[in-house]
Amino acid sequence: MTISRRVFVKSSGLALFSLGLDPLFLARAAYAVDRPTARPPDRRILVCLFQRGAVDGLNMIVPHGEELYYRERPRIAVPRAQVVDLDGHFGLHPALAALKPLWDNQSLAAVHAIGSPDATRSHFDAQDYMESGTPGLKATPDGWLNRYCRHDQEHADTPFRAVAFGPQLPRILAGSAPTLAIDDLQAFGLRVPQPAARDRLTRAFEALYDGASTGLLASSSQEGFDAVRQLQQANPTQYQPAHGADYPRGRLGRAFLQIAQLIKADVGVQIAFLDGTGWDTHVNQGASEGQLAVRLKELGDSLAAFATDLGEKMRDVVVLTMSEFGRTIRENGNVGTDHGHATAMFALGGPVNGGKVLGKWPGLDPATRFEGRDLAVTTDFRDLFGEILTRHLGARELAAVFPGFTPDPARFPGAIRA
Amino acid sequence: MKAVGRYGGQAVGLMVASTIALTAIPPYRLTAQVLSPRDSAVHALNRLAYGPRPGDVDRVAQGGVMTWIEQQLAPERIDDARLAERERRFDLLSYSRDDLARLYLDAQRARRERQQAQRADSMMGPPADQADQSPERLRARRLAGELQELAVVRAALSERQLQEVMVDFWTNHFNVFLGKGADRFLMPSYIEETIRPRALGKFSDLLIATARSPAMLFYLDNWESVAPGSQPPFQTRNGELGTRNTLFRLPRSAFRVGSANRMPKGINENYARELLELHTLGVDGGYTQQDVIAVARIFTGWSIAPPPRGGGFEFHDWAHDRGAKTVLGVAFPPGHGEDEAVRLLALLANSPATMHHVSRQLCARFVADDPPDGCVDAAAAAWQRSGGDIREVLRAIFRSPDFWAPQNVRAKVKTPLEFVVSAARAVGADPDSTARLAQVVARLGEPLYLHVAPDGYAERQEDWLNSGALLARMNAAVAIAAGRLPGAAVDLDALVPATADKDSLIAAVNDRLLAGTMSEHTKTVIRDQLSDISDPKQARALAIGLALGGPDFQRQ
Repeated sequence: MTISRRVFVKSSGLALFSLGLDPLFLARAAYAVDRPTARPPDRRILVCLFQRGAVDGLNMIVPHGEELYYRERPRIAVPRAQVVDLDGHFGLHPALAALKPLWDNQSLAAVHAIGSPDATRSHFDAQDYMESGTPGLKATPDGWLNRYCRHDQEHADTPFRAVAFGPQLPRILAGSAPTLAIDDLQAFGLRVPQPAARDRLTRAFEALYDGASTGLLASSSQEGFDAVRQLQQANPTQYQPAHGADYPRGRLGRAFLQIAQLIKADVGVQIAFLDGTGWDTHVNQGASEGQLAVRLKELGDSLAAFATDLGEKMRDVVVLTMSEFGRTIRENGNVGTDHGHATAMFALGGPVNGGKVLGKWPGLDPATRFEGRDLAVTTDFRDLFGEILTRHLGARELAAVFPGFTPDPARFPGAIRA
Repeated sequence: MKAVGRYGGQAVGLMVASTIALTAIPPYRLTAQVLSPRDSAVHALNRLAYGPRPGDVDRVAQGGVMTWIEQQLAPERIDDARLAERERRFDLLSYSRDDLARLYLDAQRARRERQQAQRADSMMGPPADQADQSPERLRARRLAGELQELAVVRAALSERQLQEVMVDFWTNHFNVFLGKGADRFLMPSYIEETIRPRALGKFSDLLIATARSPAMLFYLDNWESVAPGSQPPFQTRNGELGTRNTLFRLPRSAFRVGSANRMPKGINENYARELLELHTLGVDGGYTQQDVIAVARIFTGWSIAPPPRGGGFEFHDWAHDRGAKTVLGVAFPPGHGEDEAVRLLALLANSPATMHHVSRQLCARFVADDPPDGCVDAAAAAWQRSGGDIREVLRAIFRSPDFWAPQNVRAKVKTPLEFVVSAARAVGADPDSTARLAQVVARLGEPLYLHVAPDGYAERQEDWLNSGALLARMNAAVAIAAGRLPGAAVDLDALVPATADKDSLIAAVNDRLLAGTMSEHTKTVIRDQLSDISDPKQARALAIGLALGGPDFQRQ
């Protein structure tokens, strides 16, 4: 831990306030003008949410301007009157209404018709490829977020640099760079109920590892105890969301709340990952209401609460949603959708080039469909991920993060403001 | 193949000679710094076994460590009655492959019925992939739990320790992901019938068995790899198709996958690529993408029978590419069927690149994360001499000076499985047949059979040591010390009697749990921590927790 660095960050934040600048996240114009000098050297943060099970991108970002959408989905299309219109052609599912203000203040963008160059419709394979970052190659041992961490050592000074919320480390963060899986912030550390006994045990283990071991055993334990101590100071049990942010109950809302907590605790989070299931809507997926609507409401409310809670801090944060593939254009016999190809992803945050549906829209015409039935992929997911890594996190070595892929800024969908 | 020249020829001959010459010398005299018989026993028990149980070190040291190693190399002659008795508690072992195929069909039928009921039901039902509590689904989950726990119980209790270590090694070398569709039901037979009987046999037999196993054929998609343009002899009339892998869902349409009207259109290279890169030659084994394609063509038609026919291996002549192929410069003439893949596997199994690649992995497991060339060359030489007899390869490793070199003793960090099982063995725990002990292994980062990628769980310490994982190990150690090891009964009183005398407590913990490997630093820290604790049981719990959770016990 470099304390001096954090002091610097804090004081620069103070300096900003003393200059009397408006909260930048809300007042974009002022921010844009002052960007070169006013940009504080804060840690940029990326939060990735994996929608496991393949979200129906067409009912998340609804192409309500397309007649074919309504013809192909007589029972599950979102009626035009209920779509939250974005640009006259696309609109949000009504369950995502909480995201509209973020769209309006241009911190929310969507990328449509995005996905994998690999044709697989297997959840297992497609999730694997999206997390390894190497579509079509199964043997890649590590995840692309971990490879990014390994090649950008600038932030490698904190145990909280890359954190996954869940019991186990997901594939996307697996690899040789140190990462942390946290099931619950409040239970992180040695699990001894009495605080005094816990502190004592923590000190004892620290002493054991401190003197007896070298190399990874010593450094990993030191990082662990640093993390425990920093969390203790952040006092996660006492957390109150700011600005009246109201996180939905359930695992997703709770994970977003804990990520906000970690970010505000200033323990050096650069990458946070969380995931959720329930997107595999083969049967009875619903239209404006129903199963998918319930999931989307949880998603939209969680994202909105997170943005509200972080407030001005969102200027340094990008939240990216992803899902392994999309779903069939035509509804199936079970009033649901089957495994398709391209889907849609959200990018949210201060650095986002918001208020736009990005990507080349291939249309729903059967002639342009993938294998004659699914929305075609016009944006390789690595182009979006790569853009966020370079333009948001400042990555310099994309070739190492996405081996075998030649990043070309000309193909970036433009999710991050230049 | 550039690798051929490097590892073949003269160098191998020299290594054979030196290995033979060394066999007569007791291992701990091979190096300038000599390991005591007791240290040798601890080392062997840490590497060939999942750590010593109380009393093991003295037993092995007295009988001679090389004698014990020879016994472990012949597991069929070791009585394992206690484990056999314990295995009877696992329903899993009484299921035939037909039973498992039936279970899978039941689960799929139940899922369809549930979906139909849901359609008739309200609009607000739970999402299809959530909250499935049907008996069939629960049975599938229980099956997975049993399979994981069985591995932990065997590792902890078996007298045939090296056999268990090798089963774990090959399970990772030929990794299959339990969570992929039908593999939930194919995995038991994969472990019991494919891996276990061949863990100490010929590598070529094991390689062929894994290639033919439905679990591997499904995991790496070879079951749907067909020659371009080939058509099955029958067509199904199922119009509406499911969305997951439909192999086991629609018994008559074994060749539909994905969803509507998707027939396999051609070759799938996944198995071919991993066969060369991971199972045999290694990533630097000198093959090209053209070789991968040729191998995939050779394996077209290697598929799986539909579950009503048992879900076993099936060769589909109609799907096989009968043209000529060339792999690594070797010609495979046209007109052949199933036989040419067997010929290819035999060729790969004893290629010098394979010998070297797999020998290096074995040495990474038994000697050091970055094994010295000496033991790798000795292993490869034994491989060549014996035609890939795994026992001979292992014997060569255990007799190589590198295995006993002091710099390689206690140089490896335990994997989560090794940590949990060695802790259970150290305290003489008696694991039950619930999945709880396996869940501890999972919490530490190694959920068994659930490594997604085909490379299997890593052997290197970097992949296991991170701050969260280390804290989890400390928590597990504290739970064991408090007699709260989930899924295993521990009699701490029989192991380390509670005593008010700190020094004798520390000495007992060092002797019984750490086989005398406790460092002076650890002793000092524990003594400091005990200074103001008067309750003997509390003191014992703290001492054991710190000993098992501390750095000494993380190494092997």
